[in-house]
Amino acid sequence: MTTMTKSPVGLANTVLVASLAGLVIGLAIVLINLGAQGHAAFNTTSLGLMWGLPIVTYDYFVVTSTGLTLIACLSLTFGVRDFDPVARRCLWLALATLLGGVVSLMLELGHPLRSLYAIPLNLQTDSPLFWKMLFMTAYGVLLLVALARGGSRPGWGLAIALFAAALGVALLAGSVFGMMAMRPMRYGGEVPLAFLAEGLTGGLAFAVLGTYLAYGGQASMPEGVKRLMTGALPKVFALMIAITAAMVASRTVTGLWSNLDGLQVWEKIVASPLYHLHLWAGLVLPLVLMLLPSQRTDGTLQVTAALLVAVALFIGRYEFVIGGQLVPLFKGSWAPAFIDYAPSFTEWMLALTSLSLAALLYTAGDKILDLGALPQGED
Amino acid sequence: MAKWGMVIDLDKCTGCQACTTACAMENNRLPGENWQDVLFYTEGTYPSAQLKWFPRPCFHCEDPSCVHVCPTKATYKDPNGGFVLIDWNKCIGCKYCMIACPYGVRFYTDEKPVVGGPTGGPGPDIREVFPGDGKRSWNPPWRAPDARDDWVHGVGIQPKGVVSKCTFCYHKVSKAPPGTPDLDEDDPALKEYVPACVRTCPPKARYFGDLDNPESRVSKLIADKRGVRLKDETGNKPQVYYLSGGAGPAVPSTRETVKKT
Repeated sequence: MTTMTKSPVGLANTVLVASLAGLVIGLAIVLINLGAQGHAAFNTTSLGLMWGLPIVTYDYFVVTSTGLTLIACLSLTFGVRDFDPVARRCLWLALATLLGGVVSLMLELGHPLRSLYAIPLNLQTDSPLFWKMLFMTAYGVLLLVALARGGSRPGWGLAIALFAAALGVALLAGSVFGMMAMRPMRYGGEVPLAFLAEGLTGGLAFAVLGTYLAYGGQASMPEGVKRLMTGALPKVFALMIAITAAMVASRTVTGLWSNLDGLQVWEKIVASPLYHLHLWAGLVLPLVLMLLPSQRTDGTLQVTAALLVAVALFIGRYEFVIGGQLVPLFKGSWAPAFIDYAPSFTEWMLALTSLSLAALLYTAGDKILDLGALPQGED
Repeated sequence: MAKWGMVIDLDKCTGCQACTTACAMENNRLPGENWQDVLFYTEGTYPSAQLKWFPRPCFHCEDPSCVHVCPTKATYKDPNGGFVLIDWNKCIGCKYCMIACPYGVRFYTDEKPVVGGPTGGPGPDIREVFPGDGKRSWNPPWRAPDARDDWVHGVGIQPKGVVSKCTFCYHKVSKAPPGTPDLDEDDPALKEYVPACVRTCPPKARYFGDLDNPESRVSKLIADKRGVRLKDETGNKPQVYYLSGGAGPAVPSTRETVKKT
């Protein structure tokens, strides 16, 4: 059974062409600049800011991908039938965002091809990155297997494995930062949980955007999709936005209150307009929109909230990844109290490349595959 | 096997940076890529402000976080001598070790130049003056003999896309006669095995020896003068100890001593 309803051909084609152009232009500029300047094309430095915008982009898309898969798992693993109509769409979007993130990482690494064999062959089980790569590989393969089953519901084993892999990737992405005791701004056992919550919130935002991109508006949606978009999904979305906002507020208050060396970066973060855009416009406003019963079912407001949340989570990831490095470690008085960092043009183009690849894969997949297919078979 | 370690007497250190220069010459470092650095701090405010300095090599920690986080085992703890080294054949340039090092002693040199070039002030980017040959990331004519290049131990001029750091002059120290308690530059039989920064220190503020040998001078100095380690609370257990019992510079307790600009 399929629920294929195609309406906004014009919008989809616009996104397709724009993402193709973004991918070609972004990738060409990145490759030319990397070829000519090497990693000097990035504004990262050994002074202290080693992980810049490419890592922000990478983690943003990978964590969002896990959130999308977990949403699909509500249907495929846990049998929450309300989410059946978006399960396959979320899986495909998860694959698209995963690849969008991976391309950013691979172009950031000094030796990307070496990483493909050096990480699995050397078995450094102490390293969170080793486990993250292991889980990401399994996650990618499981996604492909689940998608290859077409509209069929994956078996119990595959469904559980997919859920575990997505959960593992999200938690390990947080552990990569949260286990760093020497960087107090990032350190803590709650960091993996924050990544998980942000992944789910981002996944919901992307699911809303992807669904409206596919159908245009609620009028064109099949009954099941419409019921979900006016029922459970915006409520869950509101809940996850609230949890994410609470985590941001909690971390901010703790950071401002504590006098542990390194946490002074919170004063700098809170003084930035970006932070307030992140919290108030990106989380609180969408939360209000999704909390009010009269507004949470409005398609335009849902898309607005999803866009705001998607941007806010990117800013939040930027603050977290960059903020943890702004206080230099033992560099002496020639180093400033805070490192100044602004992404280079090449870094922005790499972010455009990731976004364009994800958007291109999604819209192309939506054209070619029946992403609205309801999962068939028993749970 | 020895567990090589260093003792730096802060009461003797004059902050002359001869160690920095000697290290750069011995190991062919890029300008600004100071494997061995002397950090300067200002503490207090006018009229009681003080200028302080703090010599800082890689600490070759006993339990190094950089080794734990490296996903490819490129950075590793050499069991023969206790060096923390980087295998440039395995490094993927992820820079996680740089994130995890509490002391900021690692460098990724494929970036905008620290000195010279379009962003580093006057003078050219020296990598453009002496461009790499595919094997090395840059290729100065005054480099050490090719035969001494040792990528497995991070010795020589690194290729592109990898992280570099102080090796405790592995290429010299590892050739010292087994069982040697101290590498003392005053001993003609041993001076060729002494790390460049130790050998060149004008006030003889540095000592290098076997931390596991109770008869070594470094062990005795640590015991007699209560040697301390930088940021010991991180659990990395540096193999570099500081003596600061007098009125001179002390081990900075936090990064708050960094001058605000």
